[in-house]
Amino acid sequence: MTPQDISTLIVRTSMKDRAAFDLLYRQTSAKLFGVCLRVLRDRGDAEEALQEVFVKVWTKADRFAVSDLSPISWLVAIARNHAIDRIRSRRKPAADIGAALDVADPGPGPEAMVVAGGESERIYQCLEELEQDRAQAVRGAYLNGESYADLAERHKVPLNTMRTWLRRSLLKLRECLER
Amino acid sequence: MTLAEENGPERGGDDLLAAEYVLGVLPADERQIASGRIDAETGFARLVDSWEVHLSPMAAAYAEVEPPATVKPAIDRRLFSSTAASTTAAPSGSLWASLAFWRGLTAAALAALVLYVAVPYLRPPVVVPQERLVASLAADGSDVKYLVVYDAGRRDVGLSLVSGERAAGKDFELWMIEGKNAPVSMGVIPTGQTTHIAVTPAVQQKLAQGAVLAVSVEPTGGSPTGQPTGPVVAAGDLKGI
Repeated sequence: MTPQDISTLIVRTSMKDRAAFDLLYRQTSAKLFGVCLRVLRDRGDAEEALQEVFVKVWTKADRFAVSDLSPISWLVAIARNHAIDRIRSRRKPAADIGAALDVADPGPGPEAMVVAGGESERIYQCLEELEQDRAQAVRGAYLNGESYADLAERHKVPLNTMRTWLRRSLLKLRECLER
Repeated sequence: MTLAEENGPERGGDDLLAAEYVLGVLPADERQIASGRIDAETGFARLVDSWEVHLSPMAAAYAEVEPPATVKPAIDRRLFSSTAASTTAAPSGSLWASLAFWRGLTAAALAALVLYVAVPYLRPPVVVPQERLVASLAADGSDVKYLVVYDAGRRDVGLSLVSGERAAGKDFELWMIEGKNAPVSMGVIPTGQTTHIAVTPAVQQKLAQGAVLAVSVEPTGGSPTGQPTGPVVAAGDLKGI
């Protein structure tokens, strides 16, 4: 399936076409489940989240038209934000912060960078301009959905320090991305 | 140096807040506030979208994991179990919702037209017709309605005007919209109750199930710019028979 095909399926889903929705699920559920699983680190939770994500996709597919995101990135953003909302609302903090670090992170690998093209290289170039541990914190937050509180605990710094630290990194990233 | 200074007075803190939201680091209450603003403020929503675009290449690191087979039926139960009513209970006021509704009303008319168009090809009955797609075109606030049958094998689009008329000095032009691409003209619709437009090879390549057809009002002879210049008075998607 090309991005164009996924776009078509999302547009048809916005018109309440169930056949298109079924096909969209078949084509994209593995990626979105991977997102939920990585953020939530619990299969049952991730399955529940994936259901909610596709309910959102069905009801909000018309919003795709106003986004600049590629179709798969738009779907990933829905799944990521939903999984992060879900983990933030958990009563007790994530079961095991350490577990998140054990999840293998293959990194952007040369293939992925080639496939994703110019914009992809840009964010990686900009991350490289940050100090290594800060770039890692940005990547970790993005991929694992870690909160300021999680990051502060891991790096053993006060929460406000962590926030200042990460905000400075984001400002540097913005400056680099717009260069 | 304070954060406000770093952020620059002209930007306010919104761009940074959008970045924090997309990165996912905010606590629950702040995320909720940000999420409310995405729904309510177009400007803030655009900042968030732009950060999503910037950071999205990192998502390449998410591995694909096949979910268990029980998930999809559970989704369908959530969405569709309260009978067919849920499929028509689309958000009101949207063009597509009204299209779906209208499409239901004209199902019988559509079936009749399909039969009418298909009959010549059904002899002998064992011949499987080549791909044929149909669409019913309509829009809110417009009385223009067309039924469309696309015959891929004959590169022909048959149009049947159900209702509506073009004003003096105006023409109806047919457009194909595929995904997020700009509309592609398929030509001015000839006047008359039942008409045909030949499909060019370039259009044929893109004309498939799911493509959207739309009719716009243009000066006589068609759009001078190559893009729709007048209002869209009818639209609908191509579906398999």
